[in-house]
Amino acid sequence: MSRAAAGTATAAELFERRVLPLYQLADDAAAIATACHAMAVRFHLGGTLVVFGNGTASTDAQHVVVEFVHPVVMGKRALPAISLTADVATVTGIAGAEGFDEIFAHQLSHLASGRDIALGISADGNCTSVLHGLAAARELGMLTIALVGGDGGRVASLEAADHIVVAHSDDPRVIKEVHVTAYHVLWELVHVFFQHPDLLEARAVA
Amino acid sequence: MSPGTNGHADTGPVTRSAAQSRADARSQSDDLASLYPFLYAHPDNVGHDRPGAGDLEAVLAEVRRSTVDKAHQIVALRREVLARDSQRLAACATAMAAAFATGGRLFAIGNGGSCTDAADLASLFLHPGPGRRALPAFALTGDIAVLTALSNDVSFDVVFARQIAAFGRRGDVVVGLSTSGNSTNLVRAFEEASRRGLLTVGLAGYEGGAMAELGSIDHLFVVASDSVHRIQEAQTTIYHTLWELTLDELIST
Repeated sequence: MSRAAAGTATAAELFERRVLPLYQLADDAAAIATACHAMAVRFHLGGTLVVFGNGTASTDAQHVVVEFVHPVVMGKRALPAISLTADVATVTGIAGAEGFDEIFAHQLSHLASGRDIALGISADGNCTSVLHGLAAARELGMLTIALVGGDGGRVASLEAADHIVVAHSDDPRVIKEVHVTAYHVLWELVHVFFQHPDLLEARAVA
Repeated sequence: MSPGTNGHADTGPVTRSAAQSRADARSQSDDLASLYPFLYAHPDNVGHDRPGAGDLEAVLAEVRRSTVDKAHQIVALRREVLARDSQRLAACATAMAAAFATGGRLFAIGNGGSCTDAADLASLFLHPGPGRRALPAFALTGDIAVLTALSNDVSFDVVFARQIAAFGRRGDVVVGLSTSGNSTNLVRAFEEASRRGLLTVGLAGYEGGAMAELGSIDHLFVVASDSVHRIQEAQTTIYHTLWELTLDELIST
């Protein structure tokens, strides 16, 4: 049976699904630049990046941390970043005792401070644990950033973060791919601001 | 995406149609200035209401341009991958589906960022979400006790090969991801897997490195780029595509 007859997609069709959401990410360049600047200001103040998400996004959280702590580009400075998804003892401990929704909020409230940066990742924008994490981060006064997809879910409708990147797709795999490009860009372009220390003084940057 | 309390409310249908028109126009024009006028606002014309604002605007403009460039780069790179490898992706998925159909399991391996891709890949097969068939898969990167034991007692170079020797059976599948293609622990793992009759699938970058020189990887996909980030982004598409084609293959056979 052919792929068309079986109602399945060819590699070409699968690749084509990836194109438009990337152009839409390019359309968000102005907002991404603003987020990079805000992150650079926090790093300049000594802040740490704290990243969290469930499932696929838990692997993205760890990927983001590797980017910042161990830069692939020679000469870029290492920046402090931790993921809240790697400590299985703590995650399962919190999930078992306080409930899964609290796995990130609990860690944030004990590991982070107001000068830090929270980056929450949720493909549909509806993960309660990510929403609770972002709320705990705001409570602390952290800079909050969210990578979401689809219609942005509750993260977008509740304006749960200072900076929200929406991957415009309903396919969780495509959303993930847009997120990977987005955080690669966030990492790389944060460093541009370090070449301009006068732009990093603590002025009112959300 | 929007800064401040504006959420994403202003990125609705207008943005979608603008992006669509850019996608449509891409073959006729690579003129970024006409496609993205916001990139070329002159810094002297904006933001002089506070000291240093012109400097900030100039840097923000540089960052915006770079963001657009990178989005276009990955779209172009994925096109190159597809043009070269679409038939090979289908053949690989057919082989993977045959392995699963006869009781094979998938092991995923990689270091650093590729370690997170290995974890994501394994989880995608094992827990794909509603309506999709779950298949036996796990990453050999997840058990810190095993990784540190092997690294401490033997060598980091054997962390995957030793696990494959312990778990691997003829008919299983190993998928290894590396941007350089030169990770010694992957090369050792592929050698061990080939010896044991496992199906081997490799994702590499640049020119394929040591993984290409190995000559024994059954299905090797080399993303010909010298950007680690763009390589990773294209590799994510490759394993997502392999997963989707494999599941479709299992349904239709």
